[in-house]
Amino acid sequence: MAIVTLQNVTYKYPLTEAPVLQNVNLQVNEGEFVAVIGPNGAGKSTLCYTLAGFVPHFFKGELTGIVEVAGVETHQSSLNEWVLNVGLAFQNPFNQISGAKYTVFEEIAFGLENIGVPRGEMKPRVEKALALTGISDLADRSPYSLSGGQQQRVALTSILVMEPKVLVLDEPTSQMDPIGTREVFGVIRTMAERGMTVVLAEHKVEWIAAFADRVVALKDGQVLLDGKPGEVLTSPLLEEAGFGISRYTSTARKAKEMGLWKKDQLPVTLEEAVEGFRS
Amino acid sequence: MLDKIKKDFNTMTWVLIPVAIAINVVMGEIVVQLKLPVYLDSIGTVLVGALCGPWAGALTGTLSNIIWGLAIDPNAFPWWPVAFFIGYMSGRMANWGFFKSWWKVVVTGFVVALTAAIVSTPISVYLYGGITASGSSFITAYLLQTGQGILSAVLSTGFLVEPVDKITTSMLAFAIVQGLSTRFLARFPRPENVSTEKGGKTELFIAVAVVVVLVLFAAFMLRNILGG
Amino acid sequence: MHERLSFYVHRDSPLHRLNPLTKLTMVFAFILLSFGSPWYWTPHILIVLVILPLSFIGRVQREYLLTAARLIFPAAGFLFLMQSLFQPIGQTVWFRWWVLEVTHEAVAFAFVNAARIIVMVSSFTLLLLTTHPSELMSDLTRRGLPSQFAYVIISTLQIIPQMQAKAQTIIAAQRSRGLDTQSSFVKRVGALVPLVGPLVFGSLVEVEERAIAIEARGFTSSHAKTSLREIPDSRFDQILRGALIVSVLLAFVSRLWLS
Repeated sequence: MAIVTLQNVTYKYPLTEAPVLQNVNLQVNEGEFVAVIGPNGAGKSTLCYTLAGFVPHFFKGELTGIVEVAGVETHQSSLNEWVLNVGLAFQNPFNQISGAKYTVFEEIAFGLENIGVPRGEMKPRVEKALALTGISDLADRSPYSLSGGQQQRVALTSILVMEPKVLVLDEPTSQMDPIGTREVFGVIRTMAERGMTVVLAEHKVEWIAAFADRVVALKDGQVLLDGKPGEVLTSPLLEEAGFGISRYTSTARKAKEMGLWKKDQLPVTLEEAVEGFRS
Repeated sequence: MLDKIKKDFNTMTWVLIPVAIAINVVMGEIVVQLKLPVYLDSIGTVLVGALCGPWAGALTGTLSNIIWGLAIDPNAFPWWPVAFFIGYMSGRMANWGFFKSWWKVVVTGFVVALTAAIVSTPISVYLYGGITASGSSFITAYLLQTGQGILSAVLSTGFLVEPVDKITTSMLAFAIVQGLSTRFLARFPRPENVSTEKGGKTELFIAVAVVVVLVLFAAFMLRNILGG
Repeated sequence: MHERLSFYVHRDSPLHRLNPLTKLTMVFAFILLSFGSPWYWTPHILIVLVILPLSFIGRVQREYLLTAARLIFPAAGFLFLMQSLFQPIGQTVWFRWWVLEVTHEAVAFAFVNAARIIVMVSSFTLLLLTTHPSELMSDLTRRGLPSQFAYVIISTLQIIPQMQAKAQTIIAAQRSRGLDTQSSFVKRVGALVPLVGPLVFGSLVEVEERAIAIEARGFTSSHAKTSLREIPDSRFDQILRGALIVSVLLAFVSRLWLS
């Protein structure tokens, strides 16, 4: 069942002429893990802000079309109700630290305090969330004393703890090493399997191929491709349109031209490439 | 009334205020370190006043003053009403459209300075008997020696000292606003307050000239007072 | 300069265990008493017989005396000197020097004023030394202070040291390029410009994303807020607050009575 529906969505920021999103149509089912890819300026962040309600409620500007999450239309709602359904974490972790708290534990509880979760319920929820993202050992540290990657985990945890129906993430692993990235993608996958819907803007295509259910490719504010990771990420359209693609895909494509790659399906991840070249 | 106050405060205001207070405190400290003859410790206050409105400005000023008093100079404490009114007045002036071009900002600075001088007078007179821990009290002391009444001595000192500082402060706050994108400014409660009118370079020069004249005037008066 | 904003000293003492509102009431009671009491020696007595012992009860005497020596007494001393020398009141001249007349009345006035400043700042210092800012703010929020105020206060306390550190880095860089505080006026003004730019614009640009981040976490939610911290408010706290309020009222009434 679709929990997120975008119908002919077009959006212009205030004081600008060109729309950042144009006729975007998108449906996301409950519990689905959808990745959004696109070159810089394709509208990935704006799409995230739209799903999270900040477009139009915070950024104002001109939004036409229908944005519906969990049966509520964005124009019919207000931001403070919207964020109960949709959680947002974005790229720069430093700016996501509230500043109102002295420890990571309190920082994670900040959202729960704001939406009035009773104290007795709050502590176990924070502890569970900390354990899930693997930062229980940071609970008593000051959020400002952490590394960029650790701060990104705090930002993600602060949103996860609020248990939104839809989780919107805009490059949440930009400051993490490969090990950290793998762990966080694993957490996101787990959340999706537990029924949380995830929309993730990301350019780490190899991880997307390994973890996401579906990929949407955005180009100039329009949906270029929408489908299974294996199809979308290996489509020849992507390279032409200036997307960053997996080096395994480009290698295999060359190999295919030279007759060295026998399969129809091109690989995205190292494992797929190894397997393909072996056969 | 309550609705009017509420209009000043959206989430951007609440996030801006701490940054503005930090700008006040840090600028104030730098100016002391560089031994400049101004305070410049209310740039953030004026900025919040202009972008968000009088009540947000007043809150910023008051909190700034309390924190300054606790962390840097205990003698600053009793002056919080002055900081309150600096923020309130800069917001009021911006609401009236006086934060849109260089010369209007100079007027704002001047009005803010007069307000500061007037509000600080009763505090100075009733709490301190006219002599405070500030360097400008030397002027007051001199004026008292020449036989002036305490009220007029304190008030004249304020009128002499405040305009240079508050006009420079307002102009710096305006320069900061000029450096921010319209898209960013649009998120604050009162972006219309700072939608710049055309005026350009000549106006800036006139504004700077006014400040220079004021500085010279103050210096001249000081020399007369201290030399006489 | 940087450590000053983290006043709180984590210890266990009767003063630490008092409810934050009780301590805040105490602060305002002391200030009002030192200004409102009709008896000249009130602020002095408060300093010696109440504030000083309280710093020992709160086990923060070392920190308090350090702050007092570094900050409070110099400021009060300066005020005392200025007022003794320049205050044009009084008939009983102690001595004359140049244009200055030091009178008994001016010195008496200066002495009580300096004491009031000491009471004012000392009582706040004691409050902050023994109360974690989060605890103070949670307790006040629970009692009806809008939670946005709590956000502003704590955020300010965390941002100022960050920005001070940034400013010092920039100043150090400029020093290495030849700026010194003894150079000409124009040079010192010129030094201000490259400082203000990165410092101010850098911190302002962060405002938008931080607003989005806290909004995403229900900052403007219409639900009644709850608090992670549980702050005890004992019968003793309530009685103490009552007693403080009564003593302030008594001071003002007796002042009116006497005048």
